Amino acid sequence: MSELEQLDFFTDQTLVADPYPYMEAMRSGCPVRREPHKNVMMVTGYDEALAVFGDSENFSSCSAVTGPFPGFPVPLEGRSDDEVSELIDKHRSELPFSDQVTVMDPPTHTAHRALLMGLITPKRLKLNEEFMWNHADRYLEPYLAAGGGDYIRGFAAPFTLAVIADLLGVPEEDRAEFATRMDHRQGGVGATGSGSMTHSPLEYLYEKFSGYIDERRREPRADALTEMAAATFPDGSTPEVMDVVRIAANLYTAGQETTVRLLSGALLMLAERPDLQQLLRQEPDRVSNFVEEMLRLESPVKGDFRLARKSITIGGVDIPAGTTVMVMNGAANRDPRQFEDPDTFDVARSNARRHIAFGRGVHTCPGAPLARAEARVSIERLLARTSEITISEEHHGPADARRFSYVPTFILRGLTELNLDVVPAESSE
Amino acid sequence: MKVVIDDDRCGGHGVCVGLCPDVFELTDDGYAEASTDEIPGEYEDAVREAIGACPEHAIKEL
Repeated sequence: MSELEQLDFFTDQTLVADPYPYMEAMRSGCPVRREPHKNVMMVTGYDEALAVFGDSENFSSCSAVTGPFPGFPVPLEGRSDDEVSELIDKHRSELPFSDQVTVMDPPTHTAHRALLMGLITPKRLKLNEEFMWNHADRYLEPYLAAGGGDYIRGFAAPFTLAVIADLLGVPEEDRAEFATRMDHRQGGVGATGSGSMTHSPLEYLYEKFSGYIDERRREPRADALTEMAAATFPDGSTPEVMDVVRIAANLYTAGQETTVRLLSGALLMLAERPDLQQLLRQEPDRVSNFVEEMLRLESPVKGDFRLARKSITIGGVDIPAGTTVMVMNGAANRDPRQFEDPDTFDVARSNARRHIAFGRGVHTCPGAPLARAEARVSIERLLARTSEITISEEHHGPADARRFSYVPTFILRGLTELNLDVVPAESSE
Repeated sequence: MKVVIDDDRCGGHGVCVGLCPDVFELTDDGYAEASTDEIPGEYEDAVREAIGACPEHAIKEL
């Protein structure tokens, strides 16, 4: 083992700034490999990641967001397949976030996910996209007028919040309050620091959406919240109010932060590459593939966890029942067996879209089409309305010595702030 | 080999488009669409991969 692979991926701050050499070192040793600190099996290869994501029978998602922290409530190692499987079913509800769709397994997962998919159908998203163009312009206005500033607080965060509020049909009069209450700038799940998780934005969402759903079940209106309130499980049964509320809240908790990181990563790339800006201004059709390549190269979710129910072999490596596995989307997306010259950004990469930034299998990110549309729309508008976007040297230092800070979590990958200088286009249309 | 996509199930994830852009595409409405013709032999493996990878199991071989 080299020095790099001995670092603790879950706590080492140097890996927050740049996790990729570590991922590469792990993968070139073996794409399925145990790390020595938390005893987690790290899956860094593309095919191996697909094998785990595709097997929800043998890999439980019960600890998908928490992994080894705090770990499973009872020891699982050394037990038989049947014992492990039984213990998982018995104790999974004691794990954090156990009521969220992300950590459910089929068949419970299948029913709850269907509720979520009902909220973000392609048809619904198409309607939502029309609002996106307006929101993009609305939030760009002050940002451009100020000549730039922190792109995350000045644009990406308020824009993504507004889009989700639209999609869920949050009433206009409540939107300002939502924006204030949901402005949790960082931290949360997977923090590498020692701070505790804050539940308040989630509790706020629960309270608001319980109210909306209750009210609309009593008095239906012609709005998205009423559709949500009337949604049924695939077997025709009516979900509890809280089931629906959790699904709505999931759009915020899983969908906002990640999209903000995608947007800021893309803008960092653009700001450092005037040639790329010019290319995409001239040929906006290329923005879609640019977004795919950014998802591949800087996957906003570095990875998440699975718990082996049974002893199983992945990529020729034995994984005993009870093992915590971390599937690293960010590493799989730089697997040279799948992507040629994987560390190089290539706006025209022909297979960029094969990335697994949104995961695969039954837990594939339901918000992928939403995130893609948000990225495409906002980047197209920003490029159309500027003639120049550059990194603020005052904040991030000169070109040969840039300083950026990344969110201190082992789950998410992305900037904490991105200060840009922008020159509005002359005819700002 | 021919395939069909169940519009009621398709979630617009675009996984099939990523795996086999020569056979699948996303319509303007965001749903996946498959070529209705007989699929050329060289794409069969990729199409099978797409069938297996569809998060909503919306692609069926005819």
